[in-house]
Order: sequence, then structure tokens, then C-alpha cells
Amino acid sequence: MIPNAPEIGKLLFIICFWICAIFLPVWLVSWAVGVLLPMLLEQGSPSMAMTATAETLRALTPIISVMVFIPINAMFMVLYERRALALFTVRLGPNRVGPDGLLQTAADAVKLLFKEDITPRGADAFMFTLAPIIFFAPSIFGALPLLAAITNNHSLYQITNLPTGIFYILAAASLPVVALVMAGWSSNNKYSLVGGLRAAAQAISYEIPLVLSLVTVCLMAGSLDVVKIAQQQDGGILNWNIAGGGALRGLDKAIQTKLGVETTPLITPQQSSDPTETPVAAPTTFEEVIHQYYPFEFLSYISAGVLIFCSFILLGLYLTGACAEINRIPFDLPEAESELVSGYNTEYSGIKFAIFFLAEFTNLFIVSSIATVMFLGGGDNPIPQWLLNKMPLEPIQKSLGAILSPFINGLHLIDPDTFWAAFWVIFKVYTFVFIAILIRGTLPRFRIDQLMDFGWKRLVPLSLIAFLVVVFARVLVVCHG
Amino acid sequence: MDQYMILKDYVSSADAETALFYVIAILAISLSVGVISDRNIIRSGFILIGVFGAISGLFLMLQAQFLALAQVMIYAVGITLVVVIALMLTNPRSEREAVITEGDEFSQETGAVQFIQRLQQGTPAFVAVFSFFTIYLAIRSESWTPVTEKVSTDNVKVLGEALTTVYSLPFEFASVLLLAALIGAIMLAKAEKRQPAIESAED
Repeated sequence: MIPNAPEIGKLLFIICFWICAIFLPVWLVSWAVGVLLPMLLEQGSPSMAMTATAETLRALTPIISVMVFIPINAMFMVLYERRALALFTVRLGPNRVGPDGLLQTAADAVKLLFKEDITPRGADAFMFTLAPIIFFAPSIFGALPLLAAITNNHSLYQITNLPTGIFYILAAASLPVVALVMAGWSSNNKYSLVGGLRAAAQAISYEIPLVLSLVTVCLMAGSLDVVKIAQQQDGGILNWNIAGGGALRGLDKAIQTKLGVETTPLITPQQSSDPTETPVAAPTTFEEVIHQYYPFEFLSYISAGVLIFCSFILLGLYLTGACAEINRIPFDLPEAESELVSGYNTEYSGIKFAIFFLAEFTNLFIVSSIATVMFLGGGDNPIPQWLLNKMPLEPIQKSLGAILSPFINGLHLIDPDTFWAAFWVIFKVYTFVFIAILIRGTLPRFRIDQLMDFGWKRLVPLSLIAFLVVVFARVLVVCHG
Repeated sequence: MDQYMILKDYVSSADAETALFYVIAILAISLSVGVISDRNIIRSGFILIGVFGAISGLFLMLQAQFLALAQVMIYAVGITLVVVIALMLTNPRSEREAVITEGDEFSQETGAVQFIQRLQQGTPAFVAVFSFFTIYLAIRSESWTPVTEKVSTDNVKVLGEALTTVYSLPFEFASVLLLAALIGAIMLAKAEKRQPAIESAED
């Protein structure tokens, strides 16, 4: 039926293999650093140095797991992209190194490390070296608040939970453009300089719709804290920000009441903020719950619909802006291979080029995980709780628990709260990455004037309008926050 | 275990904070000296980003997270723009070829003109010293009232409430001013349509 079914099968095999190859080391390393070593140290001799070392190790867990994650993930994503593009364009893709080209990018990485590192004559050597470092650093520390959000605020990752989470991520995301201009200027090459200038113009234009779309999501959530935003969206696809920022939460709760699922008492923000008012008895029927969440009847239903429409627009705006921020096709003007011979990194080779490459793919991953946390509920199960209760999952859960209990209780190797969250996050993020690759395989590159027109005349007004509409629509519905 | 607690107390004590302040302050000062002493304008633009990074570190020490992040976000992008404009307006090759000729700059001028020129050169130094002492005296004056109350951990909320209630008028004034500047910039940069009379005269 599908003529290229074997190719799709091979791609799926590569994805499964590499995801195991990424996340098993990350898991084991973070477990060893965060749980095992401190435990051994504290059991051995409870002296000052030991306790201090144990605490330091626990505090360092997030950064160490990120450091392990980034290089392996970049290797996987390059292969994923090449194989998926080959699939879209009916080619074979890399298929020589290892079974089905499985180890192609690992070999490429080793090759890049051993290449000669060249600094061109007339280049500003210091800036030339500094640029890849500044480009790479934000992708390490910028993603840290997301770790707390996607692990359900696990105690080891709590240290990365900032009250200004999303603002911190955006501030970190605005730094790489400095590095691109720096790289373009210090290379002493006209193509590189043009690439750097284009990067500056593009990043500044597309940062506005990107930030405005995220600000609107924060407005719907009533918080800048990514952990809070992720936790608000718990309980199935109807609670996610993509479904109107909680506009469908009332529907979810109403169905729960109708099906008689045990729920927490529903207290709307207005009631909780006023202590003198006597608490209203929890509504018991479908209609009452609907009335509580949609107080203005018909107007509320309309505004809920508007909110859902707006949040789809916001996701689109975010993905467009993010695509431009990380210089991916169709916005890869700064490194346009056919016009600028890969722009700002023309003169880079060896390890410095590898760092640019690493940071680009890490940024793609980070952008996808921001979308996951802000729009798709972070590590939340897409199936609503009331539907999950109907499914015959009890025996499966019990047998899984029996098999895994020595790991959970004895070694603390598996954290039951984080395990499924991690699974869903990985699934959602790589779906976004797949969409990015699909777009790369579909759309041609923008011209620079089209790029500016599209950014300033379409996206910026659209994001402002969406912002205003959301401000007014969310008054009529009881949302998150 | 006790020693460990002592160590922990020390790390979060005022002494460590002061030491960290000096580290960041020295970094900021030496980078800003770098900005004015570097002969290459683009390089000094990049160093300026470092200065603002160090200042955002000072904001972080004062637990003003939002201000620190806004500092990074606005200045990183803003100064990149400055660098880009500097790139467009300067010619790097001419800078490299320029021979530095100090000393015989004023040789052809008469004494009075020389004196005025030296005075003009001294003006920035005078302004710098004057404003430094003004700010120094203002900071060291007795009229400050230190508050012992703890900083709110959710200071974004406090800041937002202050901006929309107590300080809403200054905030709106600032945004109107920015709007005016924006419109003015567009008016200045807009390409003027040539009047047909002049065009025919040129022909």
C-alpha cells in the first residue's frame, strides 16, 4: 500500500535506537550524580567535606545531565533530519556507516573533532574564538528552567525553578544574535559579514512576534513561572494552553462531574480571593459546573471559541518566530548556502564549526520544548483523567509496578512522578522537531525583503491583535491563572 | 556537620556578598575602560555588551531578577544594533591604515586657538569628574533610609503592580515619549519624494 514503508520503518528504528542512546546515558548519569554518589558519600562518613560534596553534586545534577544530553542529542537530530529529508524527497539518505547509516553522525562528530582548526588571516582572533562560545553558552543555561517544568518539579531539578522562568529563557535566547554578528564581523570575510548583518536584522524583527505570543500565553496562565504554567495544564488535552489556555477546563470538569469522578472542590479565583464570602458548595450537576466556568452563558461560549482560535494562532506565531530565531529554513538567510556559502560560519572549521552546529540543533530542541511546555502541557498525558479511568490500565500498572518496584524503592532509579512526564515530553518535543524538518523539506527560502515584509507587516500586527483579543476574551471565561 | 553549617552560613553571608560585589564591580569597571580605550569601534561595542552583562550581575545580587534579565535582553540586542550601525558607517580598512600622529596636531595653530582646543579636549574629563562627584555625594548622603524588610521573592508581581497603579502616569509618559521618538525616526528616515521642479532643474 505504502511504497516506501520499509524506509519509514528504518527511520522509526533509527529514532527508537537513538532516543534510547540519548536518554539512557542522561538518566543513568543524573541518577549517579544526583542520587547514588551523594547516598554513598553520606553513608560512608558524615563529615563536613562529605556532606558538602554531596550537596554540591545534587546541585550540579541539572547542568551535568544537560551536558551529557546536548552532544548526543545533536548527533541524533542531524541523522534524524537527514534521514527524514531523504524520506520526503524519495532518496536513501546516509546508509553506509553502521547498520542503515545508524552511526553516520557519530563518525562525522569524530571527524570534526580531528579536523584542523583554522583562523583566517586578518581575522580578529579573540572575537573569532569567542563567537562560538557565546553562541553555545545560552543553549546550555537557557534551557535550565525547562528542566524543572518537564520533570514535574522533581527535587533534584527544583534548583532550576525560577519565578521569572519564561523571561529568563527569552533573555537567554536573545544572546546568540550577538555571537552571530561577532562571528560574521571577526571572520574578515564579506559573505560572513553579510550573514551576520542579516542575522541581526532577522533576529530583531522576529523576536517581537515570538515574545508577544509567549507573553499572551503568560497572560492566559497568569504567571511567568514555567513550572506553574506546566502544572496548570495537568489533566488531559482539554486543559492544555492550546485549547484556549484553560477555556475548555470547565467542560473537562463538567464531564468529570457527570461521570462521577472524584475531583477536588472547584474554587474559582474570584471566590478564593475574597475571604469574607462564604465558600459556595461544590456544584454537583453538569449544568451547574458549566455555569460556574462559563458565567455569561452564550457570550462565554463564544469567547471560549475565540480563545481556542487565538491559541492556535499563537502557536503558529510562536513556531514561525522561533524558526526565524534559530535560522532554520525557510528563514535561513544568515547562512544561505546557495547565496552566502553558509554565511557567518563560512570561515569556521573543526571544533568551532562543530560548536556552531551543536548549538543550532540544541536550539531547535529547546524551541520545541518551550512550545511543549507553554502550549502542549509539558509532561502531561493527552488523555483526560475521566477517559483514563475508564480504560483497563489497572492490571498493567500493577504488573509494571511489581517489576519496577526494586528500582523505585531500593535504588531510586525510577521516579514514578517523573517517568511518564519524561516519556510524554520526549514524544511531544520530537514531534515538533519532526514538524520543523517537514517544513524544511517543504518550503523554499524567503527573500530578504519578503522576510522583512512578512515579519513587520503580517506577524507583528497579528500578534498584537491576538494579544488584545485574548485580553478581552478571557474576562468572560474562567481560565487558568 | 557543624563545620558544614558554618561553611554554608559563610557562603550566604554578607562577607561573601561583598566579595562577589567587588569581583563584579572590578569586572564592570575594567570592561568599561576597555570600551573607551579600544581603538576599534566594533570591538568596543562588543565589550560594551560585557559591561552591561556585569551590571546585570549587580542587579541579580540586589535580588532584582526582572531588571537583570531585562538588562541582558534589551542591551544584548540593542548594542548588537549599535554594532551593526557602526559596521555600516565605518570603514575598517581605513582604520588599520591610519597612522597615529599625536603631538604635532596643534603645531600650526596660534596660542589662543591651541588653548581653546585644549579646553575643548578637557571638557569631557571635567564633565566626567563633576558627575562622578555629584553621584558619589548623592549616594553617600544621610537622607537614605535603609529598610530591613525582606525583598519579595515574587518581585515581578510587585513591579507590575507598582507600574500599573502608583507609577502608571510616569509609565504612560515614558511610552508616549518612546512613541514620539519612533514616529520621529520614521519621519527622518523616510525617503522624501523629489519635487518635479528640482528634478527638471537638475536635468
